[in-house]
Amino acid sequence: MKGRRPDTFVTICMLLMGIAVVSIGSNVLVVVLQGAKSLFRSVSQSETRFAIGLSVGSACVSTLVCFLLAVPTAYVLTRSSFPGRSAIEGVLELTMTLPNIVLGLSLLIIFASPFGKVLKKTGFAVVFNPRGVVIAQLVVNLPFAIKLASAAFRDVNVKLEHVAGLLGASPFRQFTSVLLPLSKNALISTVILIWFRALGEFGATMMLVGVTRMKTETLPASIYLNVSVNDLDGALSSAFILLMISAVSFLVADWLTRRGGKRSRYE
Amino acid sequence: MSDPILRFDGVTVRRGDFLLDHISFSVENQEMFAIIGRTGAGKTLLLEAAAGFYRPEAGSVLYRGSPVLDVPLYRRNIGYLYQEYCLFPHMTAEENIGYPLRMRHEDKQAVKENVRDIAFRFGVDGVLSQYPGTLSGGEQQRVALARALLMHPPLLLLDEPFSALDPVTKKRMYRMIQKVRKTYACAVLFVTHDFEEARLLADHIGVMIGGRLKGVVTPTHLFDHNWDEETHAFLGSTCANGGNDDDA
Repeated sequence: MKGRRPDTFVTICMLLMGIAVVSIGSNVLVVVLQGAKSLFRSVSQSETRFAIGLSVGSACVSTLVCFLLAVPTAYVLTRSSFPGRSAIEGVLELTMTLPNIVLGLSLLIIFASPFGKVLKKTGFAVVFNPRGVVIAQLVVNLPFAIKLASAAFRDVNVKLEHVAGLLGASPFRQFTSVLLPLSKNALISTVILIWFRALGEFGATMMLVGVTRMKTETLPASIYLNVSVNDLDGALSSAFILLMISAVSFLVADWLTRRGGKRSRYE
Repeated sequence: MSDPILRFDGVTVRRGDFLLDHISFSVENQEMFAIIGRTGAGKTLLLEAAAGFYRPEAGSVLYRGSPVLDVPLYRRNIGYLYQEYCLFPHMTAEENIGYPLRMRHEDKQAVKENVRDIAFRFGVDGVLSQYPGTLSGGEQQRVALARALLMHPPLLLLDEPFSALDPVTKKRMYRMIQKVRKTYACAVLFVTHDFEEARLLADHIGVMIGGRLKGVVTPTHLFDHNWDEETHAFLGSTCANGGNDDDA
C-alpha cells in the first residue's frame, strides 16, 4: 500500500519551524560549546561568584515583591469594577511597551531627586547601590506580572466564585479556596517567567546602578564588562552560567506545575 | 401574612447584551416557580439578579423581606445550580459537597457524616472520591444539587436544570426536584425553555421575552391566557379572547 503524500501546508510549516529552531538553537549551541570551555576558570574568579550571587539574590527578592504586588492588583482589576480601571490598565500596557533603558532613566531621575536624597539619608541608597538592582528589576517586571496574573485569573470562571460565595465563602476564602488553586499553574509559570526576566535584566539596571565590579555587577553586567575588555571567553562563560540557571529553573517549574490524580474522563 | 421568599420590584439589570427590563413578580415560601423564555431572553440574568450577584439599575430584589444586596453574599444561604453545574474541578465530589460546611469551620467528622448522608440520598455516594471531570452529566448535577442543599437554603435557583439530560434521566430528575422541595421545604425558582416541563413541575409560570416578564400564570392557563401577539407567537398558541391551543 502506498504511503500518503504529506500535506503541502504541513510541509511548509515544518520547513519554517526548522528555520526557527535553527535560529534559536544555534545561539544556544554557541553559548553551550564556547561557554563551557572556560567555565571553571570563570567560576574560580571572585567577580563571577559575586555576579552569580547578586543576580540570583536580587532576582529572588524582586520576584517575591513583584508577586506580592501583582496578585492583589490583578485580583482587583479582574474581579472589581471601579472608575478609572481602564485608565490603569492603559498605563500598565503603555509601561510594557517602554524600553527598559527608558524605565531605568526615569528611575534614575526619581532617585536622584530630593526624594531620593532623603531616602539615602535614611540609609536607603538606591543609585549606584545593589538595592537599585532589585528596584530596577521590580519596575521592569511589575507590569508583566500584573498582566500575566490577570490573564491567569480571567481564565478561571467567575461563576465558580459566585457559587463559592453563595455556599458561604467570604471573598478571602473564595480567593484562597477557588481562584488561587485554579490559577496555580499559571501563577507558578508567571513567577518563573518573572524570575528569568529579572535574572536577565540589564538596561534599566545599568541606568540606575551602573556597572561596577564587585558592587553592582550582575551576570548580564558581567557579560557586558567582559566584552568591553575583549574577554569573550569570560563573557561566554557568564552566558553559560545564565543558561544553566535557566535550565534548572525550567525543570523546577515543570515539576511544580505537574498535576496528580485523574481529573478528566479523557486522561 | 409572611413576606414572599423572593420578590422582584421593578428590577432593571443590564449586563453586556442582556437586559432585564422592569421585572416584577414574587415567589412564595415552598413554591415552585418556573420562568420560560427563549435563549437570550435574560433568564440566567434573572436568576443571577435573584441571587444578588448584580446591583440593579432600577428597582430592588427582596429576599426574605429585605434587599438581597443588604446581606453579604456568603450569608444569604441561597442554593444555586448553574446550567453547567459549576462544580469545583480541583475538588473531589466529597470535597465539593462538604464545601459549605468547611466554610463554616465545621468539625471534620461532622462534615464527613453530613456529606455521606446527603450523597446517599442523591445516589452519588459511590462517586465521592472522584473529580467532577470524571462524572457523568447526571452525576455532576446530583453532586451540585447535594452541595447546594446541604445547608437547607430556603430558596433554590436552578438554571435550565434538565436541558442536558436524556429523557429517562430527565423524568428521574423531575421526581427528585419535587421530592427535594418537600424534603428541604424550600422554594424553587427555575428557568427553562421547555413549556411542558414548566407545566408539569411549577405552581406558577412566568413568560419572559426580550428581557421583559410578559405575565405570570398557573400552568393550566399557560396557553389560554390573554397574552399579547408576541407572547402567543412564542408559545405557539392562538391569539384569542379566551381561545384554546392550536390544533397543530
